[in-house]
Amino acid sequence: MSKPVTIIMIEDDEGHARLIERNIRRSGVNNEIMPFTNGTDAVNYLFGSDGSALDHKGHALLILLDLNLPDMTGIDILRRVKENKYLKCAPVVVLTTTDDSQEIKRCYELGCNVYITKPVNYDSFANAIRQLGLFFSVIQVPSAAT
Amino acid sequence: MRRRAVGQVLLLAAGFLVLVAISALSVIFVNKAREDSGLVVHTVEVENQINALLLEIRRAESAARGYLLTLGPEFLSDHTAAVATVMPAVEKLAQATADNPAQVENARKLRIAIERRLDQFAREMDFVRQNQPAGAVALVREAAAENSSGAIREVALALRAEEERLFAARNIAADRSQRIASAVTIAGSGLVIALAGISIFLVRRSARARDRAEAQLRDNNLNLEATVDERTADLREANNEIQRFAYIVSHDLRSPLVNIMGFTSELEELRADIFRRIAALGRAVGSAPVPVLAGDAEPDLEGADKQLSLDFAEALGFIKSSIAKMDRLISAILNLTREGRREFEPVRIDTRELIEAIVTTVAHQAAEAEAQIRIEPLPEIVSDRLALEQIFSNLIDNALKYLKPGVPGDISVRGRTKIGFAIFEVADNGRGIDPKDHQRIFDLFRRAGTQDKPGQGIGLAHVRALVRRLGGTMSVQSELNNGSTFTITLPIQWTASNRNRDT
Repeated sequence: MSKPVTIIMIEDDEGHARLIERNIRRSGVNNEIMPFTNGTDAVNYLFGSDGSALDHKGHALLILLDLNLPDMTGIDILRRVKENKYLKCAPVVVLTTTDDSQEIKRCYELGCNVYITKPVNYDSFANAIRQLGLFFSVIQVPSAAT
Repeated sequence: MRRRAVGQVLLLAAGFLVLVAISALSVIFVNKAREDSGLVVHTVEVENQINALLLEIRRAESAARGYLLTLGPEFLSDHTAAVATVMPAVEKLAQATADNPAQVENARKLRIAIERRLDQFAREMDFVRQNQPAGAVALVREAAAENSSGAIREVALALRAEEERLFAARNIAADRSQRIASAVTIAGSGLVIALAGISIFLVRRSARARDRAEAQLRDNNLNLEATVDERTADLREANNEIQRFAYIVSHDLRSPLVNIMGFTSELEELRADIFRRIAALGRAVGSAPVPVLAGDAEPDLEGADKQLSLDFAEALGFIKSSIAKMDRLISAILNLTREGRREFEPVRIDTRELIEAIVTTVAHQAAEAEAQIRIEPLPEIVSDRLALEQIFSNLIDNALKYLKPGVPGDISVRGRTKIGFAIFEVADNGRGIDPKDHQRIFDLFRRAGTQDKPGQGIGLAHVRALVRRLGGTMSVQSELNNGSTFTITLPIQWTASNRNRDT
């Protein structure tokens, strides 16, 4: 990624987080990855104390989002991100175990950019994440609106 | 209830008995009254006869005197006529009073007296005819002195007195008979009216009881319906709960599985690294020439090290295959719950066409198994198309999958209708199912017989769940080595009603 894009990884399962990070690194992506293991911390970081997300004005963010979080659903975070004027341009990759077609449809309707189901088969999983890393390395991420 | 009915029958029977008794008694008493009246009439008649007899005797006497005085022939003929009627009248009287011993005696006396008097008359007439009027007059005087007519009158009076006594007695008897008859009638009528009253009372009481019972029954029915609705709602709720539970559990089981699988794979890579280093170290110690290891190639190990490496690989292999299996099971549960939440849509289905389409898709498998699939005429039904496809393709798949090795398969799909239901049969000549496994094969993840074919034990569980949701039932008839017949009964006109609405 040309600009210093920060990858926000919201994933409650630390094992998954570790595997995702490892495989992204293996694909040659060296951007900063900020892991969050629950929705509340992630929301606090993303939207700041006043909920306006003003802190991220001008920053380039890419959000990796799990839908099944202990304290809230990823869908709520997705909705808020896409409704926020600073964050709505940030690409959101939903990476979750759910492969329910209703859920997938709903996420795209809310503005998610990519939806990936975590395969249990590790080769597939690793492959998917590496390809995602390759994808990250070529996509252009805009800065948050100024 | 039963006792009351018996009581009413008894009451009715009693009423009838009373009526019959009254009728019989009335007939008896009326007959008695008639007899009594007949006797009274008879007495009057006897009295009349006595009077008539006395009159005739008087007439004979006065005619005889007239003849004596005038010798006129009209007196003689009058006398003769009167005498001629006397004896028959006496006979008649004797007959009429034959029933009474006292009267019989009186009648006998009367007869003697009259015979004597008639004898006197005859002798008087003889004197007159012989022109000896003096003799006749003497006879008349003699008769007057003897007072033979008076004797006749006395006996006749006795007769009459007896008859009058009888008359009075019989009159009283007749009156009594009539009184008794009317009393019996009145008492009987009263009894009948009383019984009728009791009957009406009982009938009204049981009618009220019946009304109450009916009302109770209606209430019970309403309660029952309410209870059934409540239970159905509970069941539906429980079913939804299970669906959600199964979904969440199977979903959440996947997450740790990803980790287990992921880190097992990481371990596998670590293993390769470790044993490569062990190999390198081993060679360094043995001061052998160090070979250049090419990439991921298995390091060249010896003895205990090689065994260690193999054990390591074996353990990892078991872990991975188990995870893969667990993943398949969880996927199956997820698919089943997803299927359970799908809305069914009733449409008219040409079943034969649907099954022909399925047979086309399995044509390759059928050719490999040297099996032929025969489709007999099938009824059209209204049901959910996708569900029906899944049901029949599962059954036909199974039939093809579990044929007897070396025996050409013969699979037939039959159908018929019966009172609102369509009955389908999928029959094969395959390896069959032991009767003890007939229940088991419908359970999730359970299979039966030789486990030589791939499968999760899901198909029939799924089929049965679908059939139930479509308001039908399914069963199997089979014996080991003798083929199987799966029977599915589905409603011909299925409507997406209660079962489907919120499952």
